[in-house]
Amino acid sequence: MIRKTIKIVNKLGMHARPATMIVKAATKYRSDFKIVKSDMEINGRSIMGVMTLAAEFGSELELVADGVDEEFLIKEITKMFEDKFGED
Amino acid sequence: MKKIKGNSVSSGVAIGRVKIIQKHELHIEHKKIYRREVESEISRFKKNVDYVINELSKLIQDYTYSQENRDILESHKLILQDPDFIDKISKLISEDLNSLEIAINKYFNDAIDIFSGMSNKYLAHKINDFEDVAYRLLSHIMDERKDILEDVDENSILIMENISPSFVTKVFEKQIQGLCTERGSRNSHSSIIARSMNLPMLVNTLGLLNNVKDGDIVIIDGNEGLAIISPTKSTLGKYNAISKKEHNIQKNLLKLIDVEPITKDGKKIKLMSNIEIPQEIEQVLKFNSAGIGLFRTEFLFIDREDLPTEDEQYEIYKDIAEQCLPNALVIRTIDVGGDKLSNILNITHEENPNLGCRGIRISLQNIPVFKQQIKAILRANTCGNIKIMFPMISSVEELSKVKKIIKDCSNELINTGIAFNADMELGAMIEIPSAVITSDSIAEECDFLSIGTNDLIQYTLAVDRDNQSISDYYKPTHPSVIRSIKITVDNAHKIGKKVAVCGEMASEKKYVKLLLALGVDELSVSPGRLLLIKKEILECNIEEMKAKLDELLSCKTSKEIMKLI
Repeated sequence: MIRKTIKIVNKLGMHARPATMIVKAATKYRSDFKIVKSDMEINGRSIMGVMTLAAEFGSELELVADGVDEEFLIKEITKMFEDKFGED
Repeated sequence: MKKIKGNSVSSGVAIGRVKIIQKHELHIEHKKIYRREVESEISRFKKNVDYVINELSKLIQDYTYSQENRDILESHKLILQDPDFIDKISKLISEDLNSLEIAINKYFNDAIDIFSGMSNKYLAHKINDFEDVAYRLLSHIMDERKDILEDVDENSILIMENISPSFVTKVFEKQIQGLCTERGSRNSHSSIIARSMNLPMLVNTLGLLNNVKDGDIVIIDGNEGLAIISPTKSTLGKYNAISKKEHNIQKNLLKLIDVEPITKDGKKIKLMSNIEIPQEIEQVLKFNSAGIGLFRTEFLFIDREDLPTEDEQYEIYKDIAEQCLPNALVIRTIDVGGDKLSNILNITHEENPNLGCRGIRISLQNIPVFKQQIKAILRANTCGNIKIMFPMISSVEELSKVKKIIKDCSNELINTGIAFNADMELGAMIEIPSAVITSDSIAEECDFLSIGTNDLIQYTLAVDRDNQSISDYYKPTHPSVIRSIKITVDNAHKIGKKVAVCGEMASEKKYVKLLLALGVDELSVSPGRLLLIKKEILECNIEEMKAKLDELLSCKTSKEIMKLI
């Protein structure tokens, strides 16, 4: 299992488009994938769940992956956050 | 009698009885199910969700249902595939013994409650999507959507909050008189389709729904952008007369579908169509247009959060080109202000977008995007009837750059071994005064010219035509505009090149004679105006008008010119 803390660096925060990107990416992998924000834990393959996090710019999330391809999953998702989901 | 203002989508008058189409008119029975029904209710759920997901996938590929952009449809699809959604609905059914309809309703109402309280406005907006997804799913389950129109009388005018493009087509097919939506804009896909079908429609008629009930008499005045509810006898009489006259005109116009557009003095004019979205091809074929003189490709790019891929564009271009055969399809590369693309391209805020990065300039600053479009066009041209046209050309330099890029694209396609056809006529839009003045050089560098009168007028007269306070300055027959057209035509004809007009001037019957007398070879108009313009061509005597040309060209004011034509 990998746990990784990540900060939201895109200005618009976790709105619909980043949520769509995350879910689509996560669906390619087989590992379990959860995202945790303070006391809330959601399924990383659930678009409704990811949007419900309503994570704003600057807030912290924890990515939790568990399974055969956990490393790759975390790597891809982390990169998306770092790339600000393609926003300026 | 009460009048409500809206924005007119298409001209014309319609009179009918109000039929309100409520989006939330789905009657959900609050019924519980028996435990033994759980299994069948859940399989009903899966079956319906699969169907709607399938429907969405098709829409995403076909671009036939896309007032909302592809991304939105994609996110709708993801919601329906959401494991938590499936889980929760299943629980609402199996544990709480809700019927499927109630379960879905509950789920989305809860989501709407949660999201409407969110401070992030992007997320708070999502509640519209939840409503849409829930509606799509529920209306499929209840199979009500097709019933909505089934018992609607032909003499109705539909009043609704908003409308999808596919629904507009259904309204048209049922020969319903017209429709009004409280929301929406003139330039939405639904509006474009209504316009090309000449279906009377108003949008943005705020407050209308609260002021009507089913069965009220209502008039849509598309010329004034007015909805008139419960008109007085005299108003109704007046509009009845107008409507009767319009019907007669329309009926007579339809007789012209198979008539060739030849002027009284025997000149055959090439009369083509402008389209904005692929669906308009139906009208183009129906009205027997000589091909498409302007396919605006902006609609593939705006209102979405990513770029259309080369393949996506290829499919669309190819499909339209094939349907146009044996006539030509003129594809204009992307032509919008940067403001409309700021979400997908890196474009900085501009103080003066009309004089900023738009038209060909956007393409030349975003070469990868431009190349994708060019390659898609080159590939689609395997059927051989595509011409390509570039907007906002201000000098030959841009054309040289463009030609080099086309060459690069061809080479890249050769290397990848994908079929394409680079044997394609190349045209420049003439819509900037500098292009008019140098139209001799520009004509040498390409195969045809096409005058975009809207921008030509705007740039020649320095008038923003959407600015109400200076609308008097926007004069299509300003002597400078008329002389600009003449200069362009003469320069092109000198070296045997043709000139088309694809701006709105070509769609206005009062200018047809003038344009033809100035020597314009081809006209391209919106499909809804095609027959009207054809009628004008049939009644026009070019030689007669040409005799007045010297006088016309020496006119000092637009008023004098209007008097002569």
